[in-house]
Amino acid sequence: MKRARIGLLSIICGVIFIMGLAFSKPVNVNAAEKVYEIGTDVTYPPFEFANDQNKYVGIDIDIMKTIAKNEGFKVDIKPIGFNAAVQALDAGQIDGMIAGTTITNERKQKMDFSDSYFKTGVVMAVAKNSSIKSYSDLKGKRVAIKTGTAAGDYAKSIQKKYGFTTVTFDDSNNMYDDVSTGNSVACFEDQPVMQYAIKTGAKLKIVTKPAEGGYYGFAVKRGKNQELLKKFNAGLKEIKANGQYEKIVTKYLGASAMASEKKDKSQNTFVDLWNQNKDALMGGLGQTIILTVLSIIFATIFGVLIGLLGVVPNKLANGFSTTVIYVFRGLPLLVLALFIYTGVPNLLGEKIPAFIAGIITLTLNEGAYTAAFVKGGIEAVDDGQMEAARSLGLPYGKAMRRVILPQGLKIMVPSFINQFIITLKDTSILSIIGILELTQTGKIIIARNLEGFKIWTMVALIYLIIITLLTWLSKWVERRMKS
Amino acid sequence: MSAKIQVNQLQKSYGTNEVLKGLDLTVQENEVVVMIGPSGSGKSTFLRTLNKLEEPTAGQIIVDGHDLNDAKINMNHVREKIGMVFQHFNLFNNLTVGENVMLSPVELGKLNKQDAKVEAKDLLKRVGLEDKFDANPKSLSGGQKQRVAIARTLAMKPDMILFDEPTSALDPEMVGDVLAVMKDLAKDGMTMIVVTHEMGFAKEVADRVIFMADGYIMEEGTPNEIFSNPQNKRTKEFLNKVLNV
Ligand SMILES: Nc1ncnc2c1ncn2[C@@H]1O[C@H](COP(=O)(O)OP(=O)(O)O)[C@@H](O)[C@H]1O
Ligand SMILES: [Mg+2]
Repeated sequence: MKRARIGLLSIICGVIFIMGLAFSKPVNVNAAEKVYEIGTDVTYPPFEFANDQNKYVGIDIDIMKTIAKNEGFKVDIKPIGFNAAVQALDAGQIDGMIAGTTITNERKQKMDFSDSYFKTGVVMAVAKNSSIKSYSDLKGKRVAIKTGTAAGDYAKSIQKKYGFTTVTFDDSNNMYDDVSTGNSVACFEDQPVMQYAIKTGAKLKIVTKPAEGGYYGFAVKRGKNQELLKKFNAGLKEIKANGQYEKIVTKYLGASAMASEKKDKSQNTFVDLWNQNKDALMGGLGQTIILTVLSIIFATIFGVLIGLLGVVPNKLANGFSTTVIYVFRGLPLLVLALFIYTGVPNLLGEKIPAFIAGIITLTLNEGAYTAAFVKGGIEAVDDGQMEAARSLGLPYGKAMRRVILPQGLKIMVPSFINQFIITLKDTSILSIIGILELTQTGKIIIARNLEGFKIWTMVALIYLIIITLLTWLSKWVERRMKS
Repeated sequence: MSAKIQVNQLQKSYGTNEVLKGLDLTVQENEVVVMIGPSGSGKSTFLRTLNKLEEPTAGQIIVDGHDLNDAKINMNHVREKIGMVFQHFNLFNNLTVGENVMLSPVELGKLNKQDAKVEAKDLLKRVGLEDKFDANPKSLSGGQKQRVAIARTLAMKPDMILFDEPTSALDPEMVGDVLAVMKDLAKDGMTMIVVTHEMGFAKEVADRVIFMADGYIMEEGTPNEIFSNPQNKRTKEFLNKVLNV
């Protein structure tokens, strides 16, 4: 009983430690000078995209930064993806979003919009050699759309009438690829975006006039951050009056800008691409490694504690352990990440930085798996070992430490190695909450240069190399432990 | 002579399975009691309740004057004084032979490492295995393992030792060595309860033989009384079976 209580105490300490880590950071940020966190899409050129130096640029970004400068406030632009930004805004994780967001009545339920800063319309694009000319050619065919976009909504609104099916993508490039490779026959996109994409390399052509004229607006959560909204509106008026606005738009949609972008990307060898992007990829790898190492440490501590609670002679502790394992092993990692990043802050009214949310996610998920095999490993040790130790007068804890755990640990070693590798791979899922790790970095680079095959090959190779190193390291440790 | 163990109306059930149905037994200091009985009659369960590896369902166990039902009693201290030797040895697989013997005196602060080592070597010599101090338990034969297990138990300087079929898992040629060690212990005055089917051992060493069946003690007496002149029908049947194989 006493042992169980000590176990319970240490688990509580562990959880508090993780919580402390989670909340120490945002508090610091709040105490410092006010910086507005602005969400944007990963890639929505010409509104937001990473340039050659992997810096975020585009009409949205430049407008936001110019207004901030003029009005005297600071912004931290977070390219977390359109859908993630919508959720993060609703959860209060970010203060505003500028992501080519069309002002709609539906969105006004949840967001307050600025005055419109851009007028657009939906166009349909098809493969260069396609014979499709109008909506009526789409009958029985498949059309690619991007989730949560006004263009996508428009396509859906005419889907019945013209009798086509739709397939949805999270990312513009994947959508374009689906059409240029012939998987889908057409896609729907906002006019400036489509124009820009074609001029910079998408093998598509626009075949319709702009429909459904829409207006882009900067958004804050409904009823929140009203002073930011006011500053944006004031700033927008000013840059329209003083010519800065015109300059920004011309920079991205003017003919000269296109030409230079286009020339850049015609033929990149593997080596060229590596040299251009190695800094960004190494930066992403660095994040991946930090995430992996921290997650492995926390997940191991958490997992061992929960696993031990599963075997101590205390029904309450056993039940707790079983429940934790059941819940966190049962939840898909993606759902858990979104729940912690966008769900929990809703409840707490406190921001959780993506990085911390990511560590918590992996700690809970990988920790649950770890707990399961720790429990299994201990249970695999013959009962007679514990009985012999107890009959010699050893207390439960001593018997556990000196006799059972050393044997259980030996059984668990391969599982630990396996779990470390899985943790490394699972960090890639955290790209969903916008952490700039290796996978997300790859996505952003491809969003810019459309070199999907070569960049994903690089990313895959980096993962394989790191996993190989990790495996060697683990095997080496395993051998050292045996001898 | 004083009572080392006194058991009153001991009962043990697993769910609806009543294994021990009310046992009374007193074991005196220096006494060697051999317990026989058919498989499944509850012999192991009985031994295991004496050091609370199993929690009794009802009844009273008094060890050295300490009532085990007393909430204040520290079972770990009681167990230090009751050695137990298992059918399957249960040597600690993660430790060497020497470490097996040294573990509890060192962990429980009875001896420092140096003294424990000297002591362990002495005990291993006593069971004829002085050269196995650094061996891995896995490299030993069954008979050697059981002798190490006995040495490990002796390291705690117990007042009594419970043996649960210590030779049943051994090849026949190994049995003699283990029994010889046990006879030595008996001669030195160790209080012992031995569950065994080695009738020769019982005849030679036991002060008393107890026949157990169906969760009761059916009959008890001197080896001579039980083996030459059993009174209970069940005892007769059992002995016929075991002795006429
Ligand atoms: N841990 C346990 N759980 C449930 N039943 C048990 C357990 N241990 C023993 N039993 C039952 O108790 C009875 C007596 O077993 P045991 O004491 O091992 O007999 P013996 O040692 O005389 O062969 C058997 O019916 C056995 O199935
Ligand atoms: Mg038995």
